[in-house]
Amino acid sequence: MWRAEIDGRRLGFHLAGINNQNFLMQDEQTGSWWQQVTGEALFGPLKGRRLDLVFHDEISFGLWKEEHPGGRVLRPDDSAPGREFSKDWEAETAKLRVVTPAPPGDPFAPREVIVGLSLRGASKAYPLTALKQQSPVLDSLAGMPVVLVVGDDGRSVRAFERIVDGRELQLFAKPGGPPLRLLDAETGSEWSFAGEAVSGPLAGKKMAKVYVLLDDWFDWRTYHPGTLVYRSLQPKVTPAS
Amino acid sequence: MREVSQRARRRLAGAGLFLLVVLALALVAVPMWLIRPFVPQTPEGLAVAYALRRWAPLGTVLAVAAALALAAMVWPRARWWSRAAVILAFVPLLGAAWFVRQNMFEKMFAPLLHTRSAPAAEAGWVETGEPVLAVTLNGDAAAYPVRQVAYHHVVQDVVGGVPVAVTY
Repeated sequence: MWRAEIDGRRLGFHLAGINNQNFLMQDEQTGSWWQQVTGEALFGPLKGRRLDLVFHDEISFGLWKEEHPGGRVLRPDDSAPGREFSKDWEAETAKLRVVTPAPPGDPFAPREVIVGLSLRGASKAYPLTALKQQSPVLDSLAGMPVVLVVGDDGRSVRAFERIVDGRELQLFAKPGGPPLRLLDAETGSEWSFAGEAVSGPLAGKKMAKVYVLLDDWFDWRTYHPGTLVYRSLQPKVTPAS
Repeated sequence: MREVSQRARRRLAGAGLFLLVVLALALVAVPMWLIRPFVPQTPEGLAVAYALRRWAPLGTVLAVAAALALAAMVWPRARWWSRAAVILAFVPLLGAAWFVRQNMFEKMFAPLLHTRSAPAAEAGWVETGEPVLAVTLNGDAAAYPVRQVAYHHVVQDVVGGVPVAVTY
């Protein structure tokens, strides 16, 4: 999601093509071509410029509705009924082949779903399956301590800088059912999936949000060369005696 | 002597017409070939596609104009099959001039021309577990179901007074 403006000038975008399975868009004002996933203009008068990222979540509709009951939802296209993706479009897309070559020793399968973080010029990819098993995941990227959390729906992911008032927090999951709550070891405050402390000494404080992108591994790797990858610790298996 | 040189001129004009048809078809076909799905793209290939796309509208019109001039040279005293060939040449020429002005991608994935929203409570077409792209700006909370955005590829809206391009 990008701010559709450059230098205060509003831009209108059209679908213009595809570049290694990520689409290109063209702005009406200058005719420049922009890469969808990076927001960078590759050709044209605005070549080299980058659109500002608008912070957003990719979460399930149910979770979003709980957090924003007064919010609004994009209506389907009435002008072209039937011209839309079917409900199982994601499963269908996952079957399509990947055309960019995988380098030897590629850590993940091309269409493995990863959660990508970019922070202070560093990038890291976290396999969604690992996050689901180990949430919350504490990590550090470019020197910033972060936490990645999977929501109650088992598929929505958010990331936060786990520093509040200059203090680094160690967070773990509070046992017990929904709603999801994290506890910090430093003060025992309870944190919601929105990154806000709902009780305890830090009640009312918020952790800064970090933008995450749910992506196929091959797409993330293509547009974040040199990305780090999260490798989950394998539990030791004691052989049966 | 005059007749021979006139025949030679007509032949040259005919060859020129043929080349113009090839050029017009190339202006259409080369970018499409370079940016076809399910093949990898290179930066150089993209650069060529961009340049050809940029110049194709003007280039095809100039080709038609040049072709008209050449056709005028060929036409007088030409046999019936020469004249038929000249007329046929304008099919790809005019076709190319029309084609380069179409957005083929938007024919495949219809753009969303009017972005409209419904209150969250009325959004019955979205299932609870379906992913949405959610943004809140200046108190305006908007959700864009991924299924819809993925089809259109780009949806333009204004959230809290900020113009956004929602992409997937």
